[in-house]
Amino acid sequence: MIKEKNIVRWLLSGVPLLFLLLFFIAPSLIIVFTSFRFPGEFGGLAPLIAPMGTVDVEHGLTLEAYQFFFSDTLYVRVFIKSLQVAVVTTLICLIMSYPLALLIARSKERLRNIMLLLVVLPFASNFLIRIYAWVIILDPESVLSYFINLILNLVGISPVIFLFSPFAVLLGMVYVHLPFMILPLYINLEKHDPILLDAAQDLGASHWKCFWYITWPLSISGVSSGIVLVFISALGMFAVPDILGGTGDILIGNLIKDQFISTRDWPFGAVLSIMLALTILLIIGLGAYFLRRLRKRNYAT
Amino acid sequence: MNPRRFISAIAVIFLQSLVLSFPSQADQKINTTVVAKEKNVLYLFNWNNYISADTVERFEQYCNCELSQDYYSDNEEMLAKLVAGATGYDIIVPTGNAVETLIRQGALKPLDKKLLPSFKNIDPRYLNSSFDPGNKYSIPYAYTLTLLGFNQKIIQELNLPTDTWAIIFEPQYLEKIKGRVTVLDSQRELMAIALRYLGYPVNDTDEKHWKKAQELIARAKPYWAAFSNASYVKELAVGNLWVVHGYSNDIFQAALDAKNTGRKFNIIYRIPKEGAVLSLDSIVLHKDGSRPDLAYQFIEFMLDGKNSAELTNLIGSGNPNTHAIQSIRKDIIENKAIFPDQESFTRLEMLRDFNRNQRRLLGRIWTEIKLR
Repeated sequence: MIKEKNIVRWLLSGVPLLFLLLFFIAPSLIIVFTSFRFPGEFGGLAPLIAPMGTVDVEHGLTLEAYQFFFSDTLYVRVFIKSLQVAVVTTLICLIMSYPLALLIARSKERLRNIMLLLVVLPFASNFLIRIYAWVIILDPESVLSYFINLILNLVGISPVIFLFSPFAVLLGMVYVHLPFMILPLYINLEKHDPILLDAAQDLGASHWKCFWYITWPLSISGVSSGIVLVFISALGMFAVPDILGGTGDILIGNLIKDQFISTRDWPFGAVLSIMLALTILLIIGLGAYFLRRLRKRNYAT
Repeated sequence: MNPRRFISAIAVIFLQSLVLSFPSQADQKINTTVVAKEKNVLYLFNWNNYISADTVERFEQYCNCELSQDYYSDNEEMLAKLVAGATGYDIIVPTGNAVETLIRQGALKPLDKKLLPSFKNIDPRYLNSSFDPGNKYSIPYAYTLTLLGFNQKIIQELNLPTDTWAIIFEPQYLEKIKGRVTVLDSQRELMAIALRYLGYPVNDTDEKHWKKAQELIARAKPYWAAFSNASYVKELAVGNLWVVHGYSNDIFQAALDAKNTGRKFNIIYRIPKEGAVLSLDSIVLHKDGSRPDLAYQFIEFMLDGKNSAELTNLIGSGNPNTHAIQSIRKDIIENKAIFPDQESFTRLEMLRDFNRNQRRLLGRIWTEIKLR
């Protein structure tokens, strides 16, 4: 009986396991392997073994691409810039999503479902089309630009152009990632027992104290999963800066894409991808560590 | 788990999968394997919108076969896909530098000119290029120039020159058009005109000259709105951009859009006096093609003046076919930025492919330019 159960379990988990092995671990290993190769003369990779009858053809394994990465601070600066954008995007998403998620979680059931639907509705259209829609909205000739500049003109400030600016990139990033923050927060906040808040209020706690000592600590797991979802995706984004960005809006995503398409330098592209993955793992690891310490302290008090 | 929570959880998983599947160029179909050998199918790997639908229809009737197309939007993408293992194409239409790369890779089949009597239609000025001396592998198909496009009304009002790259490099001009200029998001194209403006050849590989070009670009960059390869077409057509560094086909499209939507300005384009980049796209036979018979039929068909002219009339591409001239619309044939006179022609240069060290170095300079 027990044995049979085990077989069923293995069969059930075998498919996803195989899927992960094939489509996650194998490509990752290929990327690691690629990063130690020489780039091919025309793109792709140089051969591992020198072709028959040729001398001095580049082949084999090398640390060259890694050396190039560390040869000066340029690429690290692109990483730092991308990290800044990702952190700011995540924070804005969090600040904007929390009240909304709270509102949805505490609404009546019918209203709640409608609001949830509205949050997910933009996903009915393609991601790129929604970003191109922002091009039209932020256009210097658009209604929005017209009215904002009209007001700025009254105050005596010279007109601004929103399109192709770091502001447009940030706006696009926040817009794209907002639902990824709202939904995990909502799922968490909806579970909270209202009796806790009633009790606190009966004992004379202010609204603020109720929030700070009850709702917020209970929502930490929702907050952290929202942060992880938004932060990782924002860090690797290349389409938003490509479409909405100006002359200085290069992020790691764009840099990696450049290596594979225009420079045709696969090993260096692979090195950049590995560095990105390591950065994410490091940050998530640190985050998890501090979260655990925070929890322990909370239980202690 | 209550149903509502379950639905929310599903929604989150669904959204996650969306994030992971953000469209990328690599997602497009890579492999066109010939399945039905019996069927008459010619596989063409071509630029987006680079053959008229009417032409395709007439060719399919003529050869009693099917023309199957896959598309790319730049040479690097095409080369990258071939390197990544895309196979089964009979014909590709790469630009000169990519033809050279493909020849050196040994990826092409030499052409038998005896099967192509209409080859004589090609203007000799477009033959015997450095990328394929003697045209052993390539037949010129169409060309694009990388030049300057203007909003004529505003340029006249501001009294700015239209015959020099200085307008996108010199602060004295840029100050008047700040934030209304875009340049191509292409390392090679932008570097080429910067080098040309400084008096160097576009394929110069001297690092010192690259540094100078980088400084020139860095000085002008604060005045540019963006590096743009696609959205500049629409923005130029609606009047948001006043000066663009772009492709003649694209600016032709912008001019057409501005005219059709009744804008109060004209879009014009000019070859600057310092010179410009000529991108000659040629038909080549891939070595893995399985239907050389159909491929030769196709090339001969496209060498016919009337068929060749159809593309020019559709997208405003340059045409190297002397027999096509009489079938091309008058306004296009008289446009000197599409059909340059002999004097401008001598100032055009084609890009050549860089080796991998040069590519890596240029990629670095490009990152520096963008980050600054």
